[in-house]
Amino acid sequence: MKYLRLFGAFLRASIVGEAAYRINFFIQLFESLLSLGISLAGLAVIFSHADTLGGWRPDEVLALVGVYFLVGGVIGLVIQPGMEQLIESVRNGTLDFTLTKPEDAQFIVSIRRVEIWKLMDIVLGLGVLAAALVRLGQEIGVLQAAEFVGMLLAGAVIIYSFWLILATLSFWFVRVENILVIFQSMYEAGRWPVSLYPGWLRYGLTFIVPVAFATTVPAEALTGRLGWETMLGAVAMALVLLVVSRVFWRAGLRRYSGASA
Amino acid sequence: MTPPVVHIRDLRKVYVVSQQQAGARAALQGLIHRRKVEVPAVDGISFDVAAGEIVGFLGPNGAGKTTTLKILSGLLHPTSGEATVLGYAPWKRERSFLRQMTLVMGQRNQLIWDIPAINSFELNRVIYRIPVEDYRRTVAELTDLLDLGPLLHKPVRNLSLGERMKCEIAAALLHRPKVVFLDEPTIGLDVTMQRRIRSFIADYKRRFEATILLTSHYMTDVETLSRRVVVIHHGRLLFDGDLSILVRKFTSHKTIVVQLGDCQADLSSYGDVVSCEDGRTTLRVPKAETAHVTERLLADLPVIDLLVEDPPIEEVIERVFAQGAQ
Repeated sequence: MKYLRLFGAFLRASIVGEAAYRINFFIQLFESLLSLGISLAGLAVIFSHADTLGGWRPDEVLALVGVYFLVGGVIGLVIQPGMEQLIESVRNGTLDFTLTKPEDAQFIVSIRRVEIWKLMDIVLGLGVLAAALVRLGQEIGVLQAAEFVGMLLAGAVIIYSFWLILATLSFWFVRVENILVIFQSMYEAGRWPVSLYPGWLRYGLTFIVPVAFATTVPAEALTGRLGWETMLGAVAMALVLLVVSRVFWRAGLRRYSGASA
Repeated sequence: MTPPVVHIRDLRKVYVVSQQQAGARAALQGLIHRRKVEVPAVDGISFDVAAGEIVGFLGPNGAGKTTTLKILSGLLHPTSGEATVLGYAPWKRERSFLRQMTLVMGQRNQLIWDIPAINSFELNRVIYRIPVEDYRRTVAELTDLLDLGPLLHKPVRNLSLGERMKCEIAAALLHRPKVVFLDEPTIGLDVTMQRRIRSFIADYKRRFEATILLTSHYMTDVETLSRRVVVIHHGRLLFDGDLSILVRKFTSHKTIVVQLGDCQADLSSYGDVVSCEDGRTTLRVPKAETAHVTERLLADLPVIDLLVEDPPIEEVIERVFAQGAQ
């Protein structure tokens, strides 16, 4: 409850800030539509030559594209801006102000910047997802929907923890933006089913840079092709990464305050 | 007797810094192997600050002032020694401690650049869980004291440095902290704005009975705000006590200004002639001889006016630092 109030306060501040740059709305609209257009065109080209992609039917891949936009929107909405600002504030020292506040500093740095225009990606993602489901003509049971939402949440937690771990590296190495750029391009790989990729890359995208959990796994849950082992694995992975990222954060703070030196 | 609000004993903070050599080749070598050097920023200082006291914390750049303030506000972990604020160990950053203190840094901003200050205030209201009634009253009071009225609704990026600083200070005081750490709050501001902020700090202290530790480059800040000063240099304590004692202790000379008709007379036999303008000669004489020289001047010359002064406080501080460096 108190975290919701805090989030609400930061959200209001972000809205006030963004409203001053209305042009960004149109830039984001253009960017989102362009990105979606490219994805859909890619699908059209691929499925004019093949019936399935890595074992996925066209409308299933379309659902995946929807999830890709949805999760990408969440990353762009709150995770990425917060983490970028964390790195920046470690460098210029404004993190000091966060640390002197009587609230959990990790929570504050994680939610303090919201790029509201990225909601567009979320809306587009939901739209594509809905279209895909209609075309699949499949009945979505309560259980399946719950699985989907659960996997989506697990995916979001995994991605958040992963970003936080990367961003906390800035406590040791001052310039780490490049790592974030690498992650961003790895995430692009999540538009396609990971089963499409050769074994080593599939492992990499699942366990090293856990993109698969954010996109492929929720899409699998929705299209009813997910085994309980994977589901359990995703939840376990989310919990483990959440704990690990907290450990990284605390170690980073100890480093920042010189307690470990 | 109430315990001191700030208590420091034998405080040390050593930074481990990796040294970078000049030149590209050395820089490349540095990628593989870095030489680590220990730099003591604070090297065994002790002092206490009582409740409701304002203490001026002086020292040249790199003396360890900011490091000390950061330890006291919980940002840095001391290497050794004791430090408590309101009875808390600051680096544990307990919420009940953080709620009662604030840190203002003249060189850094906590206000969000793109939004009006009032929106950043609102954020602090939620973070500090200030009841709406109290918040409104405090904002009104601070607006009144600092003349914030026209500033609060403009985006912070459109404010001047001085206007921004006023808003920064107000934002840091919304929760009415009992302990206030001010690190160079007047840096870069013009004289009028400096005065404004100084009188505000004095008002705040009176109204809220706050304990204030203030660092500054500007001696006037310290002179007008605090009677007690703590001087550190190279991480060590040089002086802790009344400002007037500091001046007395470290001044071996006085300044005598003699008003004569013109600058013709040679006064070098009375003391060092510092300058002469419009018949006003400034002499520097050893403190012990002041009375004697004054007497001679009055007896020998057609003196229109005569003034005996302590040297400016900047000069005194310079001497303190020069002695500390030895």
